[in-house]
Amino acid sequence: MGNAIRYIALDKLTRVLGRLSEILDVWVPTASEEKKRLVRFMPYQAGMIPELVEQSTLGPKGALLPQVESLFRFIYEKDPDDASHKRVELEDPVAPKPTLIFGVRPCDARGFLLFDRVFSAGPHIDGLYGARRDLTLLATLVCLEEDAACFCSSVGGGPADRQGSDLWITPIGDGYVVEALNDRALHVMDLLEEPANELQTAAATKVQQEAAERRVGNLICDQSRSNFLQRFDDLNYWQQMAGQCLSCGICTFVCPTCYCFSITDELKGMRGERIRSWDSCMFYTYTLEASGHNPRPTRLERYRNRIGHKFSYIPEKYEGIIGCCGCGRCIRSCPVSIDIRKVVENLEEKAHACA
Amino acid sequence: MIGWETGYDTLHTTPVFIKDSSEIQRLVWNPFCAQNLAGYLVKSPIVPRGEGSKKIGICVKGCDSRSVVALIQEKLVARDMLFIFGIPCRGVIDLRKLIPNQTGAKILSVRLTDDQVEVEHSKGLQHLAFADVLMRKCKRCRYPDPVIHDVLLGESVLPRIESHELYQDVAAIERLSLQERLAFWQTELDRCLRCYACRNACPLCVCQDRCIAETRDPKWLTQYMNLPEKFMFHFIHALHLAGRCTECGECERVCPMEIPVSLIKEELNKITKELLDFEAGLDLEGVPPLLTFSPAETGI
Amino acid sequence: MGKTDSPTEKRALTIIGFLCNWCSYGGADTAGVCRFKQPTDLRVIRVPCTGRMDPLFIARALILGADGVLVSGCHPRDCHYAVGNLYARRRLEILKRMLPFMGIHADRFHYTWVSASEGQRWQQVVTEFSEQVGGLGPNPGVTSFHTGNREEL
Repeated sequence: MGNAIRYIALDKLTRVLGRLSEILDVWVPTASEEKKRLVRFMPYQAGMIPELVEQSTLGPKGALLPQVESLFRFIYEKDPDDASHKRVELEDPVAPKPTLIFGVRPCDARGFLLFDRVFSAGPHIDGLYGARRDLTLLATLVCLEEDAACFCSSVGGGPADRQGSDLWITPIGDGYVVEALNDRALHVMDLLEEPANELQTAAATKVQQEAAERRVGNLICDQSRSNFLQRFDDLNYWQQMAGQCLSCGICTFVCPTCYCFSITDELKGMRGERIRSWDSCMFYTYTLEASGHNPRPTRLERYRNRIGHKFSYIPEKYEGIIGCCGCGRCIRSCPVSIDIRKVVENLEEKAHACA
Repeated sequence: MIGWETGYDTLHTTPVFIKDSSEIQRLVWNPFCAQNLAGYLVKSPIVPRGEGSKKIGICVKGCDSRSVVALIQEKLVARDMLFIFGIPCRGVIDLRKLIPNQTGAKILSVRLTDDQVEVEHSKGLQHLAFADVLMRKCKRCRYPDPVIHDVLLGESVLPRIESHELYQDVAAIERLSLQERLAFWQTELDRCLRCYACRNACPLCVCQDRCIAETRDPKWLTQYMNLPEKFMFHFIHALHLAGRCTECGECERVCPMEIPVSLIKEELNKITKELLDFEAGLDLEGVPPLLTFSPAETGI
Repeated sequence: MGKTDSPTEKRALTIIGFLCNWCSYGGADTAGVCRFKQPTDLRVIRVPCTGRMDPLFIARALILGADGVLVSGCHPRDCHYAVGNLYARRRLEILKRMLPFMGIHADRFHYTWVSASEGQRWQQVVTEFSEQVGGLGPNPGVTSFHTGNREEL
């Protein structure tokens, strides 16, 4: 097992990332040059300083589900034999490359777990996502400290949740102990500085145990599936809970489990590209139909749908997986501080009152 | 009645819609009451606007009150439908400035005294001057007292700056070379996600559901996330606010990528003031200058 | 530098012209009938009135890399639709002053008033503006500064 646990001293980290980026596309969370507090996942470049203490504002989902993804390119050509006839030539997109996302959090990894279930496990398979996912390793950090908006333990995760990860990174003060969690990760282990010694391994185990004992968040949502359906028509409830919503879409963009997308053809003359891009159920245009009718005309219906999707429809459809990872980003980034925990919690209360 | 109540922790407030007098004690007023509530008068499905509905009570700071005036100017809301609770404001705290310098420290509580902010975080205690943690818009506030109100709650507050200092932030950008200005905006707007939060938070962007940035017919913007598209979106948003923006700063506050989008509108307001001597949201009888013309004006 | 009738010296400029149907388009037509010689970089788009001009048309052209944009309409108080150009001049002046703030040179955009009989003036406007834009060089547009390349599509 010598190769399966390594140690990277703090001051060697950028060297390791540099070595890894020679064979893989590496993504790291990093603070913006201009706005030091803004952390987001970027493709690693020499000189970048990874930010592994603060949670990122925008999660790593863009690495596996890019904000803009080419499905194919097309070129129209006039048929030389028949001027009124056009031929179309299709060009496949650039194939994805082996990738490593370094510094994922357990909550972000849960988001990818849901994506795997939705996109790769059937009955409808998304080959593009699958191709990218097969080539991607997730190197996940044990999460040492939560804040007022985190609640990962309440939705099936936790600060020491390894599910879905390929490499497990434990911060131990002056460095990181990294374990391979499966065979996929073994080939990068050699690049990770040196084998961890007994002291370091023991320190890591202690940190992991402490993390595993922490229960982050106290939301109880095991009955939310049915409680939501009961509350569905209660517009009064949705007014109270989401009346202040601006329908802005920030929550869906920062959320690791949101995956809704739009497919558009972008044309310029005779050439074009069909692209998939992030969409948001909070936008009015999301459910706007060609007739002009919109089944979710106001922010209340749209917010209700978001809660329903995450806490009722996804668990219903996908063997009980909750469509929320408890990262708290929506709560922190919401301009009007809507708290999704409160909305879900209060679904329960009425059920008891009725009983 | 629209006001603020405590949010998920002491640092955050959230707008609240009160229909029953028993709920009045939910209302709070403190320097965390950042949201501009004026937008709800025209964009909310739950604020009653029909004939015969009761008046709508709304709490406004100085900046928010200008947005209300702007809405009345454009006949988007009727003055006699409103009962305005005006609150003179000493400033709103920018939470981004409160976060302590050491990474990893989580804020536990905040105590406010007259001019000091005491932040207790997981790595200790920090004292900050109130003036240092204000939002950028507050540092350039000329109308801390609401310009329109039915009742004024609290003591009058003096403006923070003189009128000639109002556009110092955009002047700093103007002093850069053309190349530097382009590079500045390329860097800042590159982070834009096109989440449209700035547009949706703006009380005056009332067409948000039908915004031309999102329509496919006519198609102004593609779904590509490159710089030209991002620039175009911000041009659309800012130009449609030229002469109408009341500088409430919400756009900048809500941006998840911390882009100083308010600067573009401030520049447009500076131009509008110099050219046409108009400041949005002050005079109930005023007409936004781009919605009208004057045959006799010269110099153009 | 500036003469654009020897295209082998430098690449042709892309200058978009929005001309109001009644005055300026007529003025350009008059210049043509009189066979006045002028640079050929201008591509004319006819609009019913400068009042139709949305500042976003100009912004879009410049952002996507047009080297210059010219707008020309009836003289103020002489608009075919009475007041169209009075709205236009406010909007266009504001746009002109805002462009440099965003990093686009204000001299790439020019608006003026040319009536249907002013063929000579039209020649002068086009020549001077083409020279002005030529002097500024090609417009890189607002490109992705990571790659420095214009979006391929």
